[in-house]
Amino acid sequence: MRLDVAGVSVSLDGRPIVHEADLRVDDREFVALVGPNGCGKSTLLRTIYRALRPSAGLISVDGDDVHRLPWRESARRTAVVAQETPAELDFTVWEVVLMGRTPYGRDAAADEERCARALDRVGLAGAEDRVYATLSGGEKQRALIARALVQETRLLLLDEPTSNLDVRHQLEILHLARELGVATLAVLHDLNQAAAFCDRLYVMSSGRIVAGGPPGEVLTPELISQVYGVRAVRRTQLVFERLKDESEP
Amino acid sequence: MSAQKTPAARGNGRFALLVAVLAVSVVASTWLAVSIGAVHVALPQAWAIVADRLVPGLVPRTWTPVHEQIVWQFRLPRALLALLVGAGLAVVGAVLQALVRNPLADPFLLGISSGASFGAVVVFIMGASALGGLSLSAAAFAGALLALALVYVLAQRSGRLTPSRLVLAGVALAYLFQAAYSFVLQQAQSGRAAQQVLFWLMGSLGGARWEMLPLPSVVLAAGLTYLLLQHRPLNALSAGEETAVSLGVNVHRLRITLFVLTSLLVGVLVATSGAVAFVGLIVPHAARLLVGADHRRMLPVTALLGAAFLQLVDVAARMVVAPQELALSIVTALFGVPFFLWLLRRRSVDRAVTVT
Repeated sequence: MRLDVAGVSVSLDGRPIVHEADLRVDDREFVALVGPNGCGKSTLLRTIYRALRPSAGLISVDGDDVHRLPWRESARRTAVVAQETPAELDFTVWEVVLMGRTPYGRDAAADEERCARALDRVGLAGAEDRVYATLSGGEKQRALIARALVQETRLLLLDEPTSNLDVRHQLEILHLARELGVATLAVLHDLNQAAAFCDRLYVMSSGRIVAGGPPGEVLTPELISQVYGVRAVRRTQLVFERLKDESEP
Repeated sequence: MSAQKTPAARGNGRFALLVAVLAVSVVASTWLAVSIGAVHVALPQAWAIVADRLVPGLVPRTWTPVHEQIVWQFRLPRALLALLVGAGLAVVGAVLQALVRNPLADPFLLGISSGASFGAVVVFIMGASALGGLSLSAAAFAGALLALALVYVLAQRSGRLTPSRLVLAGVALAYLFQAAYSFVLQQAQSGRAAQQVLFWLMGSLGGARWEMLPLPSVVLAAGLTYLLLQHRPLNALSAGEETAVSLGVNVHRLRITLFVLTSLLVGVLVATSGAVAFVGLIVPHAARLLVGADHRRMLPVTALLGAAFLQLVDVAARMVVAPQELALSIVTALFGVPFFLWLLRRRSVDRAVTVT
């Protein structure tokens, strides 16, 4: 499994948002995409999962141009956990997770098996009949991860999956995503978190990818001040980690 | 986990029971509708007349030819049309609510009913020649499709369709079409014809005849079959456009298909019975309260519930001020408005409306 983004530009309403972006995600790699608000990172991600079309460039998953694949086929390769939460229409958790099977033919028994396993894995076993809209933010994200799981893709895209969560649930979601062991591209806005979780990261600024590589090499004070317009200072401070014993799903 | 029934299996029994109960109410309300009226026909007799028509000689004849005529030529086609219109409008409402992700969507909100009414009024008042020989159904369908196409184009922005723009464009166009058919009505030569049309616009099954039934039946059956086959893409779409895309749904094609299907249904139904308000709004919500949002279960329940509901509404419309008849929209509004207000007070609606 490999995601390749080559020379991709995206415009919205005729306004260029992303300029000639290049990035790649290798099998089982966890890659973060960071940058200031409005830099185009979410737009790029949405173009990868076909919510938008690129005006130039090529996005390929496993060597095939994503935008030329049949819709079902691209959904069998790429799953998305976005901020946009579905279900104003009273779907239950079970129904939301089952939606992950939309790109496949129906096989009721096997699908139920998959859903049950996925819910178990994200720690939502027993919540099947609850109405999705009544879940807490963390539970909603876990349900969406379960949906991505039953979609059985080898590429996972996360669009600021933790932005509405408190610090404990942020860590929980990121750990969960990491432990899935599939290639992951995550748009994150917390630099410390991105640095802690990813194998590599890309930094976007004004629609361009300005740096890429392991977090230790990329996130230099110079780059951060250039991209974010803030001074980065290394100093000792609290670092948040999950308590292994109590929050293991 | 394995010994326990899965959520899907748990719901199946309840769903089957509900469908059975609703099917019985559809039959019961139809039976009632055939029996009740200015000339009362006893329930067993109404049943016997219908049975005799279906299988001649099945039951001994104990009724007068007048009763037979009333039941078979007037009440039964009217009752069957009520079922078709109720089911059809309710299903259209359910589809539109999924399509625009707005719980307040119905054929009126998106201007479709007004477009269909406009087409029908033009043919009604100015004659078929006004629209190049289009029949009433065809003109209503053309009006519905025109309204939907305009709404669709107006709501687009760089290839993306936002639910809020869709609703705003729909509301605006509804006013435009209403103004247009009001103008045609005002220009009408005969005040009597205009009054007839006005009454019909608010919904009436008074004109029901057997030969009006096949077209709506076929369109409804085909539409419902298609929608049930597409229940998974529909679920995904009602969870959001981007979600649907990421789940492999060809959103653009699905939307176009749903637009054509809903305008076809609305056009055909408006042509037979005028624009009946509120059925498309309230019935899908009632269905969701009963079986949840999954279209596989929600659509059949919506159809049955809509059918039984409009049947009872029509009975009420015929009985309340007999021998005159109330327009159907007056009766549906009587139930619809309180329900609508109650819906507005629900928390989830607040959220949904601000999101869109």
